[in-house]
Amino acid sequence: MKLNNRIVLPTVGILFGLLMIFPIYMLVISSLRSETDVFSFSLLPVQMQIGNFKAAWLDSGLPRTILNSLIVSITVTVVAMVFHAMSGYALARFRFPGKTYVFAWMLSTLMVPFAVIMIPLYLITKNLGLANSYAGLIIPSIFNAYGIFLFRQFYVTFPKELEEAGYMEGLSLSGTFFRLAFPLSVPIIVPLTIGFFLANWNAYLWPLIITQDEKLWVVQQQLAHLVGGGYYTPWNIVLAAAVIAAIPTFILFFVSQRYLVEGIKMSGIK
Amino acid sequence: MSRISARTRNEWITAYSFLLPNIIGLLIFVFIPILYAFYVSLHDWNALSPKVFSGLDNYKVLLKDDLWWASVRKTLLFSVIYVPLLYVLAIISALLMNALRGKVVGPVRTMFLMPFAITSVISAIIGMFMLDPRNGIINHLLGLAGIGHQQFLGSTAQAMPSIIGVILWINIGYNMIIFLSAMKEIPRDYYEAAYIDGAAGWQSFLSITFPLLKETSTFILIVTTIGSFQALDQILVMTKGGPANATEVSVLYVFKQGFELLNMGYASALAFVLFLIIFCLSIIQLKFLSLKK
Repeated sequence: MKLNNRIVLPTVGILFGLLMIFPIYMLVISSLRSETDVFSFSLLPVQMQIGNFKAAWLDSGLPRTILNSLIVSITVTVVAMVFHAMSGYALARFRFPGKTYVFAWMLSTLMVPFAVIMIPLYLITKNLGLANSYAGLIIPSIFNAYGIFLFRQFYVTFPKELEEAGYMEGLSLSGTFFRLAFPLSVPIIVPLTIGFFLANWNAYLWPLIITQDEKLWVVQQQLAHLVGGGYYTPWNIVLAAAVIAAIPTFILFFVSQRYLVEGIKMSGIK
Repeated sequence: MSRISARTRNEWITAYSFLLPNIIGLLIFVFIPILYAFYVSLHDWNALSPKVFSGLDNYKVLLKDDLWWASVRKTLLFSVIYVPLLYVLAIISALLMNALRGKVVGPVRTMFLMPFAITSVISAIIGMFMLDPRNGIINHLLGLAGIGHQQFLGSTAQAMPSIIGVILWINIGYNMIIFLSAMKEIPRDYYEAAYIDGAAGWQSFLSITFPLLKETSTFILIVTTIGSFQALDQILVMTKGGPANATEVSVLYVFKQGFELLNMGYASALAFVLFLIIFCLSIIQLKFLSLKK
């Protein structure tokens, strides 16, 4: 038994871990190969072709679509943090009529899967005149009861003395929130920011539905277009483009893994 | 009104002004769409022509639409394979992580979690590359084991399992972290007490760890089941429902009816039925899992 715990299980764990990153390793290594070598059965780049990245950057429509993805992801995340913190704070701190109903109603929207409402959501967004625009990409992605819920949980355990201090200082209720509570909410804002950014960088279906104009495409659409768009793109270039598109998420992942793990744990608390 | 103090009223006003952006947003972009789906589903509406009220006609058509029911079966097939596999693999990963000590913990956790940072579209691209029927590395490896080349995404039997494999790969890490943090909360004394009673390893997992993970398991099973009904990104990129409709799940059928055939009325009826199916399944699952001790 002891032997099992000390040697066998850790070894299996490490091997399983290596298996998990193997596809990522293959992606990176193959993106460095020439078109003829790209499928070579080898764990090495074979012949290093750094030029693939230059070609992918220049000829695969990446700069514009990456910029669009950044604009959409950053805007959604920033606005969502402010709105969700405000609502979470109101639900945790203020006494007002209808509070339980508002909270329960907001949580009930979590029962509505996106894929199920994509058609009416498209029709409504179009009727609002937002189809095929940045606003159409951004605004419907902001509202999410999950963020409100997690902010509420955070503010419920927030020390009450702070508001009293705000009151003494002569701050209004909203002043207390914006000047005192919100700036002290970093422990919840950081993991949620990472979560929202990753989720929006990942978004493919909604941009696909709401944009017709190629100028508005996000990077995930562009990548999907490269492999299935009907014209031929060499695999090494497609993979190089995928590596470039993965750079922002990987930077975020490595810089903030600790917070990402915290965020995941929070999402698992019922 | 005069009996309510200025401070109380001020609190009401501030509270609702803080809630207003989200109330409006959730109303327009989540709540109304469900109602609107039902309204549109009562109409014969081919985006290009005007809406004509048609009562429950769309629902009658749906009942006899073989392609729709075939897509429901494919969705169920997807869920029945995907959900248990994800659950078991996430628990096993968490157990393996929990057995690690010392300097390897950080790097191995990173290895498990890294695929989570891969987007759906990129995971689909990697899947297509590695599963290439002619030259993909998986076929090279199978060749070493003496197994002939497989078609994978080109085969009606293998396309769905291939897609499931890709989606599993990027989702294990997230669920592993949730299980792991629940396991870390189990007090050590429980295991020591069980050890004295002669329970160790597999037995202590069955008698202590597993029962204490019940709430976490319920959460993960429900979230994963609901998610499994919505898997669309990878399918759109990898097969678009093919070959021969083998991977045409319900959400994809709704997508095609709505955005390719522009049958907005019919697609809305399908979406509404899909919503009811998912809703009922999550209620049943919640009941079933909370009854089962």
